[in-house]
Amino acid sequence: MTDAADKTANLLAALWVRIRPLVEERLATLDQAAADASAGTLGEGLRAEAASSAHKLAGSLGMYGYDEGTRIARELEVLLGGAQPDAARLGGLIAELRGALFTQG
Amino acid sequence: MRNILIIDDEDDIREVAALSLEATAGWDITTACCGADGIRAASDPERRPHAILMDVMMPGMDGPTTFRKMQLDPEIAGIPVLLLTAKVQGVDQRRFAGLGVSGVLFKPFDPLTLAAQISEALGWKD
Repeated sequence: MTDAADKTANLLAALWVRIRPLVEERLATLDQAAADASAGTLGEGLRAEAASSAHKLAGSLGMYGYDEGTRIARELEVLLGGAQPDAARLGGLIAELRGALFTQG
Repeated sequence: MRNILIIDDEDDIREVAALSLEATAGWDITTACCGADGIRAASDPERRPHAILMDVMMPGMDGPTTFRKMQLDPEIAGIPVLLLTAKVQGVDQRRFAGLGVSGVLFKPFDPLTLAAQISEALGWKD
């Protein structure tokens, strides 16, 4: 690795630790949307907020090397773009996303 | 030295883009967290950017609207603008490209190659 690549990798690793609470917050929004969808009470406000969270995760996770996370978040964004997202699929994708981000390989 | 203005409402995107461009290309970076601040930063004659990297989806004034406002100001209308988007659908990409921007880059970007992507989009050889 070049010095610049080393430096960038180190900065990204440090930044990932720092932004993890934000990632958790976005996952919590997705969890709430999944719970409401399961109960049949998902409103437009939370659906849009969850879609926005998925969009932001899709646009950022790959920067930190989590390409699979970006792929799953994109699926979530598409799913949440529909008026009545499938609750089971939503919950499954969120679990998959957590696994991609936080499970040690 | 190149000066790049990054406009994005997400703190970590701004930070990663800024750090990577500084580390890999040695460029001087200015950041703004919304379109209005971005226009103010671009208008500063002391730090006029050579290019602007701007997010599409921002609360309030989004990237395309900010770009159109910039085009109304002859002082900054000539600054090349690259839009940054996480939208992957072709219809969105064509819409953004049709605005008259200098290029569209996609999120998530690779921090190690972002400077090269910008240079290629703008035809910069150095």
